[in-house]
Amino acid sequence: MKRKSRFLACSWFKGSLIILSAALILFFCLVFAGLVLWPEPRALIDALTSEEILFAIELSLVTSLISTLLCAVIALPVAYALSRYQFFSSRLMGLIISLPLSLPPLVAGIALLIFFGPSFFGELLRTIGIDIVYTTGAIIIAQFFVNVPYLIRVMRSAFDSVNPRYEYVARTLGASEPGVFLQVSLPMSKQALLAGLTITWSKAMGEFGAVLMLAGATKMKTETLPIALYLNISTGDLDMAIASATILLAISVGTLIIFEHWFGSRKMM
Amino acid sequence: MVWLKEDDVMPLEIRSLSKTLGDFHLRDVNLTINDGEYFIILGPSGAGKTILLETIAGIHRPDNGRIFLDDTDITDTPARLRHIGMVYQDYMLFPHLTIEKNIGFGLKQQGVHPEEIKRLTGEIASLLEITHLLPRDPETLSGGEQQRVAIARALIIRPRVLLLDEPLSALDAITRRRMRNELSHLPSLTGVSIIHITHHAEDLVSLGTRSAVMDEGAIVQMGHPDEIFQNPQTPFVAAFTGMENLLPGIAGTSHEGKIIKVGNVRIHAISHHTGPVIFGIRSEDLIFSREPLRSSARNVLQAKVTKIRLMGSLAWVMVDCGFSLTGVLTVQSLFELGIDDGDMVYITFKASAVMVFPDEKWDKKELSLETRDDT
Repeated sequence: MKRKSRFLACSWFKGSLIILSAALILFFCLVFAGLVLWPEPRALIDALTSEEILFAIELSLVTSLISTLLCAVIALPVAYALSRYQFFSSRLMGLIISLPLSLPPLVAGIALLIFFGPSFFGELLRTIGIDIVYTTGAIIIAQFFVNVPYLIRVMRSAFDSVNPRYEYVARTLGASEPGVFLQVSLPMSKQALLAGLTITWSKAMGEFGAVLMLAGATKMKTETLPIALYLNISTGDLDMAIASATILLAISVGTLIIFEHWFGSRKMM
Repeated sequence: MVWLKEDDVMPLEIRSLSKTLGDFHLRDVNLTINDGEYFIILGPSGAGKTILLETIAGIHRPDNGRIFLDDTDITDTPARLRHIGMVYQDYMLFPHLTIEKNIGFGLKQQGVHPEEIKRLTGEIASLLEITHLLPRDPETLSGGEQQRVAIARALIIRPRVLLLDEPLSALDAITRRRMRNELSHLPSLTGVSIIHITHHAEDLVSLGTRSAVMDEGAIVQMGHPDEIFQNPQTPFVAAFTGMENLLPGIAGTSHEGKIIKVGNVRIHAISHHTGPVIFGIRSEDLIFSREPLRSSARNVLQAKVTKIRLMGSLAWVMVDCGFSLTGVLTVQSLFELGIDDGDMVYITFKASAVMVFPDEKWDKKELSLETRDDT
């Protein structure tokens, strides 16, 4: 009797958890499907092929690819240094580098705006003819600033998980320090690098707050996909807004699939 | 150093090497490895053996001391220029490279032509009988196969010295025996000198020509394995080479000659030490009998059997004779004597079978009490 009632209690518990999970998944599916299915298919296709959206796609692709490349160039050596060498206070350095990760992108954006705008450094740049604010370059810098800490974290944990003895052996076999990095540490972290780059790129495509602050929201100039969404929803052009949203949604789904494929259930977020 | 002839070539000489790395320390290590020698360093985990190898290889810079290779000071030479090979316990085969690429790694660093790398890789692979493994990935290899690959990878750069860090520990018993035999032939096969570190005393017996025992970062004894087994210099070495019975006592001289007092029991021993000592008796030196034996052996003690453990054809018998001792006899002898738990037996051993070490760690207060009791 007792065993049976325990079984029933367990089954009731298990059942309700499964129902709750199913309900949540259904809710998500309805929300996302509703977004894509809301406009007339004809109107959505028109919006997707409109000059404005095509411009936004191109701008987003170009800026996100450049900023992702920039992230990789900086994050790889910094992550390796943080993982392998003891300098200053590695712990403190790690914290400072991670700060933009937990900061709302809007705050990061306004800090960048002050830095490249009215600050001494901004003035200095302008005297040599470089004005970043409200340009395409500003989009790249904003995306880089918000995303580089993420890639550093991913790569640092990847380098941490490479047993230094692999590197020791490589050194006894005649490899120089850069040789060890390029032939052993980096290839052994390849999976993490590919997954990290995919997520970094996807995050760059969708970056809004920091870009809005530093690059502004100028139609057909600094109009990335998220900015296009924002501008069109402000003017009530729902079809155009949904077109941007649909592309961003597709990119998210795509990166998620790639990420799962490379990484399985390993946690990198 | 009787084992070192004047005219011997010494490829590797380590002088007063010290290094602190986290909780690990090397303390004033002095070693010379002869040409083509198979040298074993025995010590427990945490004795600093791996750090010693890594410092020799040039991974860590020593805090003190110098390292010479063929009479050249290499203390400041980077690892990549030392020509000292290293094989770790877990082999550390690069998982992203095939076996062929793993073995050829060292030659690639030297800028050797790919065709030549292929030829030399094939050559060393056939020497170590791993040619069939060349196209495979490291993860598909067994422990024994991985080890051969790791050795091939280290040997291809023609090192003067090959460092083996617990090379047999990760292998099953059968593979271990086979690999031990193969390792012992490496110096004559390739001319390389080998330093092999291990925590298995059996490796010492079956492999070593000359060996050292390490404890807490220092070398505590050096010599031929037989010498280390038969004449351990410290209780630690005695324990580590398998001496089961190690006990504290007070050594002195009485009208019966040299004796050691353990509580109320007196043991005859041959020793020049007096005062607190640690003494040891090998289990195989204890003779069991039902009646007191009349023999030349000076020590005959009555004892109660407390525990019997059978292992194959041997029986380990623990007895209490005022202190605890473990002896070993064949199961056949055990049955013929009819020894059982709780029985009273006699144990006999020679005074010369008792090894005596001065006890440096003895607590002073305890010492004074014991000596007062003794007088």
